[in-house]
Amino acid sequence: MGRLTSFFSPQSVAVIGASKARGKIGNIILRNVIESGYEGKIYPVNPKETEIEGYPVFRSIDEIPGAVELAVVSVPAPLVIPVIESCGQSGVKHAVVISAGFKEIGTEGLAREKELLAVGRKYGMRILGPNCVGVMDTHTPFNASFAAGFPQRGEIAFISQSGAMLVAILDWSLGSGLGFSKFISLGNKADLDEADFILDAADDPTTKVILCYIEDVSNGERFLEVAKRVSRIKPVIILKSGASQAGAQAASSHTGALAGSDLAYDTAFGQTGIIRARNMSELFDLATAFAKQPIPKGDRLAIVTNSGGPGIVATDTTEAQGLTMARFNKDTLDALAGNLPREANIYNPVDVLGDARHERFRFAMETVMADPNVDAMVVLVCPTATSEPLETAEAIVAVAKAHPEKPVFGVYMGGPTLESGAQFLTQAEIPSFVFPETAVSALAGMARYRRIKERSVSESLPELEGLDKDTVRRVFDEAKADGRVVLLGSEGATVAEAYGIPAAPTRLATRAEEAVAFAEELGYPIVLKVASPKIIHKTDIGGVRMGLETPGEVMAGFWAVMSNVQRSLPNVIPHGIDVQKMSPKGQEIIIGMSRDVHFGPLIAFGLGGIYVNLLKDVSFRLAHVLTPAEIQEMIVETKAYTLLRGYRGQKPSDIPALVDIITRVARLVLDFPEITEMDINPVFAYPSGASALDVKITIS
Amino acid sequence: MKSLYLIGAPGSGKTAVALGLALKLRKEGVNAGYFKPVGTTAGVLGKHDDDGVLMQKVLGMDEDLETIVPFTVANFYISNFKHPDKCRERVLQCYNRIAAKYEVVIIDGTSFPWVMASFGLDAITLAAELGAGILCTIQVENDFDFDEALFFNRHAESRGVAVVGTIFNNIPRQMLAKTEGVYSQLLTGFGYEFLGAIPSRREIYSPTVAEYQEALNGEVLAGEEHLDLLVEDVLVGAMTIESALDTLRRALNKAVIIGGDRSDYALAALETSTSVLILTGGLYPNIRVIARAEEKGVPVILVHYDTVTTVERISEVTRRIKPKDSKAIAMALENIEQYCRWEAILERLRA
Repeated sequence: MGRLTSFFSPQSVAVIGASKARGKIGNIILRNVIESGYEGKIYPVNPKETEIEGYPVFRSIDEIPGAVELAVVSVPAPLVIPVIESCGQSGVKHAVVISAGFKEIGTEGLAREKELLAVGRKYGMRILGPNCVGVMDTHTPFNASFAAGFPQRGEIAFISQSGAMLVAILDWSLGSGLGFSKFISLGNKADLDEADFILDAADDPTTKVILCYIEDVSNGERFLEVAKRVSRIKPVIILKSGASQAGAQAASSHTGALAGSDLAYDTAFGQTGIIRARNMSELFDLATAFAKQPIPKGDRLAIVTNSGGPGIVATDTTEAQGLTMARFNKDTLDALAGNLPREANIYNPVDVLGDARHERFRFAMETVMADPNVDAMVVLVCPTATSEPLETAEAIVAVAKAHPEKPVFGVYMGGPTLESGAQFLTQAEIPSFVFPETAVSALAGMARYRRIKERSVSESLPELEGLDKDTVRRVFDEAKADGRVVLLGSEGATVAEAYGIPAAPTRLATRAEEAVAFAEELGYPIVLKVASPKIIHKTDIGGVRMGLETPGEVMAGFWAVMSNVQRSLPNVIPHGIDVQKMSPKGQEIIIGMSRDVHFGPLIAFGLGGIYVNLLKDVSFRLAHVLTPAEIQEMIVETKAYTLLRGYRGQKPSDIPALVDIITRVARLVLDFPEITEMDINPVFAYPSGASALDVKITIS
Repeated sequence: MKSLYLIGAPGSGKTAVALGLALKLRKEGVNAGYFKPVGTTAGVLGKHDDDGVLMQKVLGMDEDLETIVPFTVANFYISNFKHPDKCRERVLQCYNRIAAKYEVVIIDGTSFPWVMASFGLDAITLAAELGAGILCTIQVENDFDFDEALFFNRHAESRGVAVVGTIFNNIPRQMLAKTEGVYSQLLTGFGYEFLGAIPSRREIYSPTVAEYQEALNGEVLAGEEHLDLLVEDVLVGAMTIESALDTLRRALNKAVIIGGDRSDYALAALETSTSVLILTGGLYPNIRVIARAEEKGVPVILVHYDTVTTVERISEVTRRIKPKDSKAIAMALENIEQYCRWEAILERLRA
């Protein structure tokens, strides 16, 4: 797919539904196009008018003499389809549908939206919206929206699923001095979605930072692919709402989005290198930081302050956010000791004391910035009697200019007294904050991005040999023929084995004599487990018998399990009893998968055993973008890793064997989309090898 | 033997067997008719016995419904009828009218064989009086069910009624092997005929969404054209989404009953195999639920009572084959041909 430049710098634009009446959307859009300074051809379309805002009006799109590169449609919902149809017939390839009255209003609107998409597809037309505010490009310049105002020129592209959010930010930015390259209102995302515009912004020379507000992603797999690619080129910062239950409901009623699980989003962003902002102020702090300052080369932060307390707060935040306090070299310390007052703190955070004037600030800043052990600097200025906000700001700007590779943030802690200095910083492209935590958090976001970029260009999962897809397919078919979606333990083991996952051999016995025969074949000791998709917690109802050593014990165990089940669950008819050779005790691990609505299989790894629910020691990765390095990472992230390495004299477990199981589980769930859930609980990890004891699989 | 009297508990599929047998007999050139001495209106909204309507249509019987099903009773009937003898008389008259016209009469039992025993209209008494042979249909889910079949057979025999045999019907898959291997031999050992083992088939025995709607009389908010979907399981949504997902994914073709305000739950249910969403409390759902349900082709029914009442009202919902269910009707015949020893039955009737 080509770039989407036709939406941002078209040669010609038709405003369909242009209106003469000031205040009407059809009029606002037309005037916005005109007043933005757009130099291409402008064609208002309205069957009832002849001239609007000094431009001749066309009765319909096919009456326009020249080619139309972009159509901006703002007509009542029932007229949108015929308008798009006529655009298609006239060869228009790009349209922005402003009109509301689609998916967001329910069944009738949904049908209309589907038709809109179908008509667009028929003519190979790309559509933005419907139900959106429009698009803006400050570099063209071009404003095809009904927003009030036009942003300052800058290097941030802002892509928003909420139109209201977009216009609010636009208005705010005009006061705060933040500039933008593009504003894109996604609306209902019938055709073009966030992935399309993120991808386009990656190649846009006027955009340095990509900012998104989304309520959901349209196509999870494509989003993963695009995000992974683009985050290596430019920072992509996303505020995803709907993290809470109530938020998910609000989001679902808002633009009609079906909210997926927040965990899946978090994992998706983490794996693809998206920087996730947790709230709106963080979104714009990060945007400002990335737009105005270089990305730090490392995590070592120097803090220069004229007061102790804020310095300590900044230090606490530095460590909490995963940055480190820079340790100065001897030259730096000598210079600081020799030139600052005796009471000053020469160690990081450098406290130049409350009586510091701008010269002392400048000296301290120049000294620490010259230190090769410093990657970034935050300067805290408190309004003391002697503070010189403006002169200090000038010094900060000068020092920052001398070290263009190191980011510098100002924190002007106060109000009116410091305003002149803070404004000077903003104008000089130095991000200025009121409190130290926000400054350090923004810097931490930049450091995180550096780590993302430094990650090895990851290879995909290794090719696996000898996978027996036919057996898996056969087991699934049999279960489906039986009217089941939950596999029996023996079937789960068969599927696992077919994919080279070391499952403990398991056979399904329907009679006690059969159980004994299987026990003789597998060898003792034996475990018996009731086999029924209706029973989730087998142990609770006495559905498991362990450590059976003789045929007699197996026989008795069979009847004991059967009668326990009948006593607890008289309405359940078990399929039989799984006979399994008992495995020696190992380190208990869980490996699982649940399928997310948007992003597909989400693999889980964690500590197993009876404390699973208490400790919640589980890490997650999406299978679609999983790499061997990430499998390693997901193991290391857990507390279980400490146990696996050999805790307090225990033998270390075979971690490569676990990596292999995760790899195979990922392959299996990718190869068979009908697997909706899979749980291997427990996996026993041994000093050499591992064994999957209970493989639960649910299919659809 | 002129007629065959089918007895069995609800859910044992008497009507499906009666239907299949009648069709098979017709196919073999035997002019079979249908008679149901005592119908029931339990759980039925209309005033007619559904089974009677079905058989009248499918077999193309000219007799009016009052002849095919002379009585319909509810579970309090004794004080309703002043003259039990007249009831019996009427039943016999109607039977004789049908018996005169058809070579063989398939007599369909009421929900339980003992119904109307106090009027002498229970299955065994009546079978003795009409000289009909007893054919027992049993759904075996455990050993007690087998005992039931044995008990009915012995009881009939002790009252001097001819016992034709037993068909194990609507058998859950996991009981098939045991039925064929164990129960069949046990039954034969006691001296009764094993006439077949028919596996459970959802197309015949699972109620449709329409049947739920009939019982609930709710407002259909979406998917009106999909009321023919089958319901195989019922889930009541009373958990958090996280705990519910596991259960939602496990249950196939289910009815999900939840409060209308649980949009989160409803949306999650729609992503799994769901045949109908039943929203309770008269709360209209989020528009997104309706839109998604339309997209997925899943009916949404809104009811104005609470969840507990709703569950109570649907507890009696069972599948009733309708005259236009051509697929189910064909399958009823196929079940007899494929899984039953119908030749043995025919032989007894001809004897």
